[in-house]
Amino acid sequence: MKGQKKTKRIGVFVCHCGVNIAGVVDVEKVAKTLTDYPGVAFSTNYIYVCSDPGQQMIIDTIKEKKLDGIIVAACSPTLHEKTFQEAARLAGLNPYQIEIANIREQDSWVHVDKDKATKKAVKIIKAHVEKAVRNESLEPIKVEVHRRALVIGGGISGIQAALDIADHGYEVLLVEKNPSIGGKMIQLSETFPTLDCSQCIMTPKMVEASRHPRIKLLTYHEVESVSGFVGNFKVRIKKKPRYVDAVLCNLCAECEKVCPQIVPDEFNMGLSFRKAIYMPFPQAVPGTYTLDAEHCLGLNPVRCGKCKDVCEKKAISYEMQETIFEEEVGAIVVATGYDLYSMQALGEYGGEKIPDVINGLEFERILSASGPTAGIIRRPSDGKVPKSVVFVQCSGSRDTEKHNPYCSKICCMYTAKHAMLYKHRVPDGQAIVFYIDVRTGGKAFDEFYQRTIEEDKVLYIRGKVSKIFKDGDKVVVWGVDTLTGKKVEVEADMVVLAMAMVKAEGVGDLLRKLKIQTDIHGWLAEAHPKLRPVESLNAGFYLAGCAHGPKDIPEAVAQASAAAAKVGDLFAQKELSHEPTVVPVDEDKCSGCAICITMCPYQARTLDTERGVVVVNEILCEGCGACAAACPSGAAQQRNQTDDQIFSMVTAMMKG
Amino acid sequence: MKVHYYPGCTLKEKTTALDVSTREAMKCLDIELVEPEGWTCCGAEYPLTEEKIVGLAAPLRVLRQVREENGDFVITTCSFCYAVLKRANKAIKDDPLKHKRVNAYLRDDIKINALTKEKTTGFEDYNGEVRVLHLLEYLRDHVGYQKIRSRLKRPFGGLPVAAYYGCRLLRPAKDMDLGEPDDPRLFEEFLEAVGATPVDYPFKQECCGSYLSVSLPDAATEASYRVLRSARSNGAAAITVTCPLCFYNMDRRQDKIKEAFLDFPGLPVLFFTQILAWALGVEKTVLGLNQHAVPADDLFRDAPAPEVTL
Amino acid sequence: MFEPQIMSFLCKWCTSAAADLAGTSRLHYAPNPVNLRVMCSSRVDPQHILYAFKEGADGVFIGGCHPGDCHYVEGNYKTLRRVTLFKRMLDDLGIDSRRLRLEWISAAEGKKYAQVMDEFTEQIRGLGPLQLNENALMKEEEKDE
Repeated sequence: MKGQKKTKRIGVFVCHCGVNIAGVVDVEKVAKTLTDYPGVAFSTNYIYVCSDPGQQMIIDTIKEKKLDGIIVAACSPTLHEKTFQEAARLAGLNPYQIEIANIREQDSWVHVDKDKATKKAVKIIKAHVEKAVRNESLEPIKVEVHRRALVIGGGISGIQAALDIADHGYEVLLVEKNPSIGGKMIQLSETFPTLDCSQCIMTPKMVEASRHPRIKLLTYHEVESVSGFVGNFKVRIKKKPRYVDAVLCNLCAECEKVCPQIVPDEFNMGLSFRKAIYMPFPQAVPGTYTLDAEHCLGLNPVRCGKCKDVCEKKAISYEMQETIFEEEVGAIVVATGYDLYSMQALGEYGGEKIPDVINGLEFERILSASGPTAGIIRRPSDGKVPKSVVFVQCSGSRDTEKHNPYCSKICCMYTAKHAMLYKHRVPDGQAIVFYIDVRTGGKAFDEFYQRTIEEDKVLYIRGKVSKIFKDGDKVVVWGVDTLTGKKVEVEADMVVLAMAMVKAEGVGDLLRKLKIQTDIHGWLAEAHPKLRPVESLNAGFYLAGCAHGPKDIPEAVAQASAAAAKVGDLFAQKELSHEPTVVPVDEDKCSGCAICITMCPYQARTLDTERGVVVVNEILCEGCGACAAACPSGAAQQRNQTDDQIFSMVTAMMKG
Repeated sequence: MKVHYYPGCTLKEKTTALDVSTREAMKCLDIELVEPEGWTCCGAEYPLTEEKIVGLAAPLRVLRQVREENGDFVITTCSFCYAVLKRANKAIKDDPLKHKRVNAYLRDDIKINALTKEKTTGFEDYNGEVRVLHLLEYLRDHVGYQKIRSRLKRPFGGLPVAAYYGCRLLRPAKDMDLGEPDDPRLFEEFLEAVGATPVDYPFKQECCGSYLSVSLPDAATEASYRVLRSARSNGAAAITVTCPLCFYNMDRRQDKIKEAFLDFPGLPVLFFTQILAWALGVEKTVLGLNQHAVPADDLFRDAPAPEVTL
Repeated sequence: MFEPQIMSFLCKWCTSAAADLAGTSRLHYAPNPVNLRVMCSSRVDPQHILYAFKEGADGVFIGGCHPGDCHYVEGNYKTLRRVTLFKRMLDDLGIDSRRLRLEWISAAEGKKYAQVMDEFTEQIRGLGPLQLNENALMKEEEKDE
């Protein structure tokens, strides 16, 4: 069914492009042929339409001949579409009334038969005329932007992104589910390759984040739900009850002394204990105690109450409730971090049942001066200083059979660091590393690893470990040295497994609420693996840190700053401007079948259940047209590429 | 109740103790074991090598015979026989080429009736219909530990026994489907059901040396020593096996082990069916204990379990 | 000699760019295909294909991005599904499904584009002109508005 043709006055400008087009296509003949075509009010040919005089000629002609649409038959639109749109605008014509007919790259440059090339050019131009007479004038879709960002996750990536966005001049909400910010980095002892004390370099950033006038630090908070779209998100945030007033608390620690409940300390990876009322670590930000209701003897009714009794500042209140409040933000940075693969999954390495087989984070706590052993390396079972330690790389990584197929990137470097630090503190001890490869791609990384071998005399054996088990006092490690072909059995005092990095526990629920995509391993999916690494395909969401995939601290910080820059891009715009060639819904024709909703990769379409029609959020629609092709009733039509336009173009191309 | 049972050749020759104790134990549970007529050797490991297709005819013939005798499943105790029969089934189910080729042979088999001497031929294709069950899983799933416990005449007095799976029983995990190889419970639950105390030790699935007994006896000696030593040093008074080859390596060759490793005091090796039979009230004399190189009689007493000196 | 008419739907991000590259590389190929540029190959509705056949196309070509590379994430998968099913319908309708061709051509594959255009043109030439039953086609005037 052909639509109603508006009586438009279309101008056709056929470019010679020197001899590029005119050498093959008879441009004069083409221009002349088009003069009589329905809808064409003016048709001419010109030597170089993209030149200044060429453009001026077009502008003048539009005004003189009162044209309301033009075809520029020339080179590929990728070259000069914007040029001519701008020229048209100057002539008072809506830029979406410009059509570029490609008669060079897709005609004169690829065909030898002049007659056929000319006939083809005519067909192409006629088709564009058919489209042009049906084109609507369109305005870019404009949306306001709330210049406020939400950063989810208070590890190094979240903190860095928050600081950068705040330094740009925008307000940031930094939400962290734990009582303090710091993430995993604050648990580390020293960082490679500089052996910087992790807490020393991180605490200044943590303090800066807490003091920054534009950062609202929301620790012990969780994101409940997110609705809206880029520039206009509504976020519901849950404030968990700390039962301690963070402002009043003066860290006297009297409450901790009297608390009767003993809980394994998560910060120390279960290697020591804390009380139910606790501060996760001395440099916690905010500096306050928190009462862990799950492990408290009881708050309702109050079964103990000792902590409240001894609190001078009256900071403790058992009546605190969970509250939920709503905030408006324009951009969301997801920096939810990672966790380590569970040792229980590696039955052949003891399945977490052997106390002296530990993972990298546990070893970090043992190494840490503020850790459970005050920085002296002792093994968990009996506190003895281990004289022989085996480090097993790739535990649960690079395993396509049962575990994680990917490489966790940081383990080669931190294992070298662990082995080096062990040898520094236990010089007469033996450190053996079992490896598949040693990957040291960063700056000064390989030199660091070479030091471990040459200066610290750590023994590197190339081979996978097949079994780890306890035999009396020792931990037996069965491996192989592939370079000599011999089996290797080590009776070690302690084993440190470089466990794979996996997605953060419980993050799946949050990501579902945010409706952003992850890959099959649960890592956040970037918009393009090469060219857009810090944005999600969902407009307004940015990715930073290990939530996106295994990476080390320098990369995480770089990515966080990049994400902040992208947020800055978004906020720098007065208003968001979006291509209007989207696919709206003709509500008269829409039956609410919702097939189009399943076609959309951007979640731009939703079903209005009350009215039984589909509604499109035009700012999210990218204009691919997949829904339009699927719509059974033709209610979904792409602006300026409707079915009607396509049909008429096909007719012109086949019959013209 | 009659149930099909495949003993395997070794049980009829070298380790009749396993065969006899199995039968006697099952009698106490009101189960009569019936061997499929004319059964042959399963082929040991060889039928399972990738290129060998004809070799699959041996184990599949046994299973087809079970089908001909209207059996849905067959029980076996020997780990090797169990592995071969079960994986042969899977081989023809997974690979249409193997299915076609092996059945081409099986179809042409001639069957002679023992009584009438009548010859039949032209069997229907065997498609893996007969299930292969290990006695341990049969006891757990079909008989049930409840029933066993209710029939116990002599609960085993909490004797610490190390369950030895060997290499075959649980691996490859996807084919054998008897539980997680890194943390198995099958054998341990059985021991608990009969009143023994299972001992946890790290060598429960490490190889005993297997056929290296013949070609590289020193390697087999060392392998078996390591298993036995681990079991003993973790408190076991005995080690129990399902496989006659494991028994051979660890019991019959224990004198060689003691020669090579002077610090090893020894450890009795039992078949799990001997434990079961005894617990269900079968007479000691029938258990075949005289076939053991390492004396195990003392373990079977009406009196409380003997002290174990480590 | 019979000159087949070929209607070509090319996706902006990949195949149309490949066609442009063929142009800048001055590769030569048959002038039979005429290109209609769409944002994504998933914009192409089976209706458009049928319409093209009706309007005189002897062959219809759809060019999209390689699987995994679609600018709009999964558009090309949708195209693949549609074309796979539609080809069966074409055969049922009495149109040789070889007259419809779906090809993944990336923006870097100018040469491949030229080769495929020549190949497809020759293939359609071999199949001959599409003979639709003229009586079965409604006349212009009888179509409802």
